[in-house]
Amino acid sequence: MKIGLVLPEAPQYSETFFKYKIRNLIEAGFEVTVFSNKPGDNSDEIKCKIKNAYPVYEESKFKQLFFVPVILFRTFLLNYKKSKILYELERSDGNSFSESMKSVYINSHILSEKIDRLHFGFMTMTLKRENVAKAIDAEMSVSFRGYDINVYPLKNPGCYDKAWKKIDKVHTISDYLRDKAVKSGLPENVPFEKITPAIDLRQFSLKSEPGKINKKLNLLTVGRLNWIKDYETAISVVGKLKNKGIEVTYNIAGSGSELERLTFCAYQLGLEKDVIFHGKKSHSEINVMMENADIYLQTSMQEGFCGSVLEAQAKGLLCVVSDADGLKENVIDEKTGWISERRNPSAFADKIEMIINMPEEKRKEIALNARKRIEADFNLEDQRDRFIKFFKS
Amino acid sequence: MKVAVYSGNIPSTTFIENLIKGLENNGIDILLFGKSKGNVNYGKNVKVYATPVSQLPLVLFIIRNSLILLMKDAGKFFKAYMSVRKKNKSTGAFVKNLGMILPILIHKHDIFHIQWAKTVSQNPELFELLDSKIILSLRGAHINYSPLTDKKLSDAYRKYFPEIDGYHAVSEAIKKETVKYGASEDKIKVIYSSVNKDLLKLNSEKDPRVKTFEIISIGRFHWKKGYHYALDTMKILKDKKVDFRYTIIAQGKVPEEILFLINEYDLHDEVNIIPGMKFDDLIKRLIRSDMLILPSVEEGIANVVLESMAAGVPVVTTDCGGMNEAVEDKVNGYIVRIREPELMADKILDYISRDDESGYKIVKNAKATIENKFSPERQIKEFADLYNTILSK
Repeated sequence: MKIGLVLPEAPQYSETFFKYKIRNLIEAGFEVTVFSNKPGDNSDEIKCKIKNAYPVYEESKFKQLFFVPVILFRTFLLNYKKSKILYELERSDGNSFSESMKSVYINSHILSEKIDRLHFGFMTMTLKRENVAKAIDAEMSVSFRGYDINVYPLKNPGCYDKAWKKIDKVHTISDYLRDKAVKSGLPENVPFEKITPAIDLRQFSLKSEPGKINKKLNLLTVGRLNWIKDYETAISVVGKLKNKGIEVTYNIAGSGSELERLTFCAYQLGLEKDVIFHGKKSHSEINVMMENADIYLQTSMQEGFCGSVLEAQAKGLLCVVSDADGLKENVIDEKTGWISERRNPSAFADKIEMIINMPEEKRKEIALNARKRIEADFNLEDQRDRFIKFFKS
Repeated sequence: MKVAVYSGNIPSTTFIENLIKGLENNGIDILLFGKSKGNVNYGKNVKVYATPVSQLPLVLFIIRNSLILLMKDAGKFFKAYMSVRKKNKSTGAFVKNLGMILPILIHKHDIFHIQWAKTVSQNPELFELLDSKIILSLRGAHINYSPLTDKKLSDAYRKYFPEIDGYHAVSEAIKKETVKYGASEDKIKVIYSSVNKDLLKLNSEKDPRVKTFEIISIGRFHWKKGYHYALDTMKILKDKKVDFRYTIIAQGKVPEEILFLINEYDLHDEVNIIPGMKFDDLIKRLIRSDMLILPSVEEGIANVVLESMAAGVPVVTTDCGGMNEAVEDKVNGYIVRIREPELMADKILDYISRDDESGYKIVKNAKATIENKFSPERQIKEFADLYNTILSK
């Protein structure tokens, strides 16, 4: 069986998730081709065929006028039948001649391949590619992730209306993302599989003395400095804890566009010595940070699922997370961690204070529960098998 | 007395343009330097030496001004040339910078008044090359948060602030912040901005038949404006079943975060976003509202609050920057701790529950504050005093 994966770019060195997924599929006997939007060829590294989309030449009208017709002509010449079907599908969707031709152009690298299942790594990747799977007589499947479903449609209302009706199968990382998609137009009867992120349990081994809390509380969050993670709330939590007389250091591992905003927030609340921005850290460095931390904090406004919270639970860290939909599936309240109201620093601080005052035995029990649940439900082997099943069926 | 007002652009922002006109009317000779950004119309006391933006006029401008400076003071020309060359790596940046510096060195002035603190780090050679006294205006972000994450900027502040002859601070709060970078306190004079007196003649024009409580915020989209906190407040009002509408008038693209929260809190019916509009239309819109709120986490002193107070629209502001130098809680408006949406909701509810008379008292007091503390005459007189003091030293 031949699988085509449509991705923004071929998985780079650091992107273990897609690389691992591709390797598993190949080992399970699938033939995999990656369709990438960006130029570049690291097919040796990821051990599969890579086909890049033709450039759109946005910067040069001259190049556009010259190259686009040449490539279009070539595409029609070599893949006449498939190109014609795609063109006609686009026309029957109500697109103009030039829009339909544009679609043939941007999909020409896919039209030349024989594929049984065309899988889009992100919902946003289906935009302007809604008809290509049908044109090459392949099944169309999609992975749902947080940003795709939670944020992108807010800026582009109705952007997936066309795609919803054409999808044959869905992979979602959480139940609520699929529910949300159904609410915005995905037909209820489209089969779906929930496959959450998984954890390499050897890499994230149980920390020593799970449940123990140091005299000076060591709080940790790992993740990009992005508005959706709502670090302002997290920093305010530190302020509230300090006001309660609790000594605390808050370590943040991650980089991003919000550094100025967050540095100012910490400074303004008089926490410049208590909140430390470490920048982006490697997997092994994060492992060490988790080893030293007492409580893992995730205040996000929304999450698809959140791999870092899984890693923290695998380490046996005490996790306090917001009631963002994805996190409610990730942590079981008072069993494997604690869930607190979004954008409410006082509620988070109260919860953390309660955890500090709890008997260590009770905390240890929760930390071990978390570890056990990750071992049972979020291990890489199960995830691999589910993906293979997803593509086979 | 000849004063050079330097903001980098001609014309500049509204409040700097108002300052120029006020000083001019007071008989002070003004010289303007900076990039030519549009047409201007000043009286005969204002001399404009704008640097052209497009390439050919810029090159001709540089040749002409280079020759003039060479004739006047060859040593200064070479010094300027060398330092600008050394600082700018690309030819384009070098040419632009040279075009900016030359007229400043050719035309004589007694005081060089820099409007934005970042100029200190961008053009440090001015300290060596200028014979006139240097005054720096201290406003908002350039002091309050930019230097927190920009080490080059904070280093430049620490190096050059001690060399500055005098400062104008827009608030006591920003004065305090500037001292941290080595500026001596006795050189800083707080001069509050002024409000157009015509606004004092205005009164609320809210249609009495409209029962919905109309709340408004005005100001560009930027994290420091705290609109995400305002939306938290609106959610609280909605939960309390208050009949309200919240209008944000803001230039620029609506940030993802704002779209997300409106959607998350289901505030589509209550929140209305309008792109920026002309000042006169803005004021018309303002006086049709019941209340203006300023949810910012950082400001110098927000002019929009002063204008609202002048025009008879009650305000609720956060206690950021110098806001508490204008607003006294429950006397001439309301003031709440930053980052506390619940407290802001309480203040709004407090005002709603007041009878007409006690509500009117707040409005009356607000107008009196503006008249006494933020009048154009007072502002211009204080600037003239500042210039005279510096020159007499």
